[in-house]
Amino acid sequence: MTFKAAAGGARPAKNGAGAMRALLIKEIKLSLHPTIPIFLLLSAMLIIPNYPYYVVFFYTGLAIFFTCLSGRENNDVFYTAMLPVRKIEVVRARIMFAVLAEAAQLLCAVPFAVLRARLPLPQNSVGMDANAAFFGLSLVMLGIFNFVFFTRYYKNILKVGYAFVWASTAMAVYIAAAETCDHVVPFMRDRLDTPDPAYLSEKLAVLAAGAAIFALLTLAAAAESERSFERLDL
Amino acid sequence: MSVLAVNKLCKNYPSFRLDDVSFCLEEGKITGFIGRNGAGKSTTLKSILGLVHPDAGQISFFGMPFNENELEIKSRIAFAAGETDYFPHKKMRTLTEVTKRFYPLWDEETYARYMKSFGLDENKTPSELSSGMRVKYSLALALSHNAELIILDEPTSGLDPVSRDELLDILMDLSERGTTIFFSTHITSDLDKCADDIVFIRSGKIAAFGSLDEFLSRYRVARFGEEGIPQRLREKAQGIKRMRDGTQALFLASDAQGLTVRTAGLDDIMTMARDAQSEN
Repeated sequence: MTFKAAAGGARPAKNGAGAMRALLIKEIKLSLHPTIPIFLLLSAMLIIPNYPYYVVFFYTGLAIFFTCLSGRENNDVFYTAMLPVRKIEVVRARIMFAVLAEAAQLLCAVPFAVLRARLPLPQNSVGMDANAAFFGLSLVMLGIFNFVFFTRYYKNILKVGYAFVWASTAMAVYIAAAETCDHVVPFMRDRLDTPDPAYLSEKLAVLAAGAAIFALLTLAAAAESERSFERLDL
Repeated sequence: MSVLAVNKLCKNYPSFRLDDVSFCLEEGKITGFIGRNGAGKSTTLKSILGLVHPDAGQISFFGMPFNENELEIKSRIAFAAGETDYFPHKKMRTLTEVTKRFYPLWDEETYARYMKSFGLDENKTPSELSSGMRVKYSLALALSHNAELIILDEPTSGLDPVSRDELLDILMDLSERGTTIFFSTHITSDLDKCADDIVFIRSGKIAAFGSLDEFLSRYRVARFGEEGIPQRLREKAQGIKRMRDGTQALFLASDAQGLTVRTAGLDDIMTMARDAQSEN
C-alpha cells in the first residue's frame, strides 16, 4: 500500500497571531468544561433579593478550575505541548480563554443587574447592590483569582486542586472583606452601594479602576505563569 | 547534515540518570530505538521533544539548535506516542479539525486515505476504539502533515500482526520518499523487518548506535547442552541465557572462533548482552 505525500518544501512562517487563534479554537472546542457555559446561567442569581452577588463570579472561577482539572485527566497539556506552538503561547491561550469566560459571565450579568434594579424590592441587605461599582469590584476579585490560581497552577499542572484551594480562599476572603466594608465604610455604604444612576461618576471611576486592576493582575499572572511553565518538566 | 543530532544529553532524576546520550539520525533512514523498560527511551524522547529540560547536552534538528528554533522544528516533525491518550471522549473529527490548524502543510487527501485504509470512523471517539485503533488514529494524524522526521513511541504495540505489517510497510514507503523515521519499540522483529539503523540504550547510556546489520554482525550465539558453558568460554561470553534444554551464550564474533554458532538477532543481544560495546 502506498500513499503519495503532497509536495512539501515551503517553510511556512507560522505567525504568532495564527498560532494563538488556533490555540483559542482548541481551548473552546476541546478544553472547555461544560460548566463554563452552564454557569453563565448563574448570572441570574443577581435577581435574588438579598445575596452576596460576588458569588456569581466565584462560580466562574470554579468553572475555570474544572476546565484545568478535566484537562489533567485528558492529557490536555501534553497534547498542546506537542503542537508547533511556544510554551508561553500555551499559557497565554489558557489565560485568554479564562478572560473570555469571565467577560461572558460579566456580560450575562448586566441584564440581570438591570432587572434587579427595576424590581419593586428594597436594596440588597446582605451587601453590595448589583450596580456599576459592583462590577468594578467583581473585576478586582476576578483579577485576584487569575493571579492566585494560574501562578500556582503553572508551577505544577498536576496539582490543580491545590491551586484552586488558594484561589477560592482568596476569593472568599475578598468577598467577606468587600461585603463587610459595604456595611462599615461610609464611602461604600452611602455612595457606592446605591441604585444607579446615583453617584454615577464615583461608580464609573470604581468600575474603571477595577478594570485596570483586573488587567494588571491578569497580565502579571500571565508573565509569572509563562516563566513557571517554561521551566516545568512535563 | 543529520536530521537529528543528540550530543551528550544528560538528565538526572533521583533514581535514574541519562548519561552522555549521543546519536544522530540520517535523512531517509529508519532508525529503531531499542532498550528494555526503564532504560531511558521515554526520557530521551521527552528531552529531544522539549518536554523535559536536559541538565546538559545539545539537541539539534535539521542542523538547527532546538531551543532557538522550536517552532519551526515542531512544524517539520511529527510525534505519535502510541495510542491517542488525550481527549478520549471527543470525536476524532473534532480532534482532527483542531489539530490540523497548527500545520500549514496539512494534507487532507492523505489524511482521508489513511483514515479509510485504517478503517476509522471520524464520528467515533477514541474511547470507543480498541487500543490498536487508537494507535492507528494517532499515526494518521502524525503522517498527514508532510513531516520530514517522524518520531514514534512504540507504534506497533497493541496492533494485530496484519496491522503491524501494514504500518511497517507505510514507514518503509515514507522512508523511500526521504522521510526520516525514528521509532522506539520493544518488538525486535519490527526492527528486523524495516530498520536501517538502531540506537540501543541501556541503563541511561547508549550501548550502541549505527547500522543494524553491522551491529548484528558483531555478535554470535552458541548453544550448549545440559553440561553448560565450559569455564574457559564463560569469561568471554557477553551474556548467558538459560534454556529449557541447556544454555545459550552470546559472544563477540571475534571470540566465537571454533564454536558452532548462528548469527545473533536483536532479541538475543537485548536479552543477553551485559557489556555490549559503545560504538559510533
